[in-house]
Amino acid sequence: MIALAAILATTGATIGLGVYGVRLARTTSDLFVASRAVTPWWNAAAISGEYLSAASFLGIAGLQMKLGSGALWLPLGFTAGYLALLLFVAAPLRRFGAYTISDFAEARLRAPRLRTLSAAIVLLIGGFYLVPQLKGAGLTLGEVVGAPYWVGVVAVGAVVALNVALGGMRGITYVQAFQYWLKTFAIALPACLLLLHLGGLPERAAMFGHDYPRAPEGGLVVSLPEPARATFPEAATVRAGGATLSVGGGAEALLPAGRLELPAGTAVPVAEGTDAQRGADWARPVSDRGDASPLFVYSLLIATFLGTMGLPHILVRFYTNRDGPAARRTTVRVLGLLGLFYAFPAVYGALGRVLVPELYLTGETDTVVLRLPEAAWPGLGGELLGALVAAGAFAAFMSTASGLLVSLAGTATHDFRRGVTRAAATRRLRFRVAALGAMVVPALLALVARELDISVLVGWAFALAASTFCPLLLLGIWWDRLTPRGAAAGLVVGATTATTAIFAGLLLEPSPRSLDALMTQPAVLSVPLAFATMALVSTTGPQPRRAPNAELLALHAPEGLGLGLEDEDVDAVRA
Amino acid sequence: MSAPRTPRDELAEATAHGGLYLRRLIRSQLGLSLLALVAFGGFLGSLPLALYLLPGLYDVELFGVPLPLLLIVLPPFPVFVAFGWLYARRAEALEEAFRELVEPRE
Repeated sequence: MIALAAILATTGATIGLGVYGVRLARTTSDLFVASRAVTPWWNAAAISGEYLSAASFLGIAGLQMKLGSGALWLPLGFTAGYLALLLFVAAPLRRFGAYTISDFAEARLRAPRLRTLSAAIVLLIGGFYLVPQLKGAGLTLGEVVGAPYWVGVVAVGAVVALNVALGGMRGITYVQAFQYWLKTFAIALPACLLLLHLGGLPERAAMFGHDYPRAPEGGLVVSLPEPARATFPEAATVRAGGATLSVGGGAEALLPAGRLELPAGTAVPVAEGTDAQRGADWARPVSDRGDASPLFVYSLLIATFLGTMGLPHILVRFYTNRDGPAARRTTVRVLGLLGLFYAFPAVYGALGRVLVPELYLTGETDTVVLRLPEAAWPGLGGELLGALVAAGAFAAFMSTASGLLVSLAGTATHDFRRGVTRAAATRRLRFRVAALGAMVVPALLALVARELDISVLVGWAFALAASTFCPLLLLGIWWDRLTPRGAAAGLVVGATTATTAIFAGLLLEPSPRSLDALMTQPAVLSVPLAFATMALVSTTGPQPRRAPNAELLALHAPEGLGLGLEDEDVDAVRA
Repeated sequence: MSAPRTPRDELAEATAHGGLYLRRLIRSQLGLSLLALVAFGGFLGSLPLALYLLPGLYDVELFGVPLPLLLIVLPPFPVFVAFGWLYARRAEALEEAFRELVEPRE
């Protein structure tokens, strides 16, 4: 109940601040003009607040518990993505005055058709990224109030869509900055207390993988909602549904629904799709196993390093910086703030092995962050800390889902038709309809995607962004010979390769683990392919009639020289 | 009698000369970014390889935690910030130099 109150308070505060903020900022342009006074620290907190999603808050620890320490490459990649943004994109794009990637594509290459193509890819990436947020919502609500999974998905989907449709969360910098600190506090405080608490835990061995997770003193009782297949890492005798069941080591057994009792010291059986791990298998971040193989790790790092810049809700935030250098300073601070947050998820992933080993059996390792406080401190203290992490998790998917939906609805409203100036009321109505519509498909996908790990789902969005918008941005900003044809060809090839690999991997489950890993995370292949296509088609096809000097000047000329675009020009165009 | 043409005129009028100034700025910025990328890529990219090739690290423990685990959770983040901070400083210096060229201070 405390947790439910905390969740409702987070949601209420978010909606309330959003509605209040809208009264202050009526149009996008007003908002951005007003926001240019925002300092790099506020901006950095806002960017981090919008970025830290369910994947960071719940997914990393969950995947670490399930697959082992290889999951810890994720936070490194998520953060490193901002270094790529800093080196190649932040300052030029701020100067160029493009709010979105579609804006950039059209203005840099003077090709309106590219806007439509970019917009379609924005919808694809945004949709991919919304699914795991909604999955997080379903899991969290299920943990907190025991609601069925679909209730959380539908409820949070509806709240976010209505909030965005009614105009809340329109990039309100201060709300997002607040969300960052809420999330960091919510994950850090329990983690620090858990670390202090460590000395008293007898089962330290399993924590870092030395041993299989085992039933604690007094045994472990799990109630299975439905019959489940599980693999027993060691021979064990358990009581399942009132009958005694003996299973040999390494054997699989069908456990009946209902009460399952594991005597103290029994190695916890693992659900289908999970390998029981111990020793170096679990603790080594790179090894010969498929999902921690060097190929997979590098592919994941490439996807996250290059994909961050291509996520639909990221770039728009950079426009609230005063100028190019401020955009750089903001990004450096983002690196620090993300690093602070990412120090903590690993604590949950490691301790989860000891304190909530039953998650291996139910397969719901994504809930480890939510479960841990109450498992460590039964009673009021654990309940309060549990409420805190639940509120943090809600902040995580509320802020990311809202930011994404604003971008998706904006894209669906503006980017598919050109040159038609309509009444503001019509545009607002269109935006509202788009916001509601853009939530429907991801919500349906989230309902069927319960089995997939949050972090795996997010990895796809990154792979797709890295294979499409990353080459477009990098070549568009730094290479004067990029042509519209080249850009379009690269976008299509990158998007097709990445999507095909992901879906084929999902449907076929290819047998060699390395091939499976490559299809789960195809960036190592699809990104170079997209780059090569863009460069090749640009150089071999017809050249543009004139060098894009004005565009490059707008991207690269320092402010105050009267050479690039000044903010007033940009605002005049966008108004 | 016309005033001598400055780099700023060349740039504003998008002459061939102006194009050269612009490309020189872009090349210097790109050079810096690529240098930073290679350095950073070398750092982050060598981490998986080192951990893969040195499985013995797993047996080394610090505060009861296997070293590879500790190595990828904490130390990289401050290094990221250091890379970013150094790069941002150098990039601003390059822009300052360009500004000097276009609008020489008397």
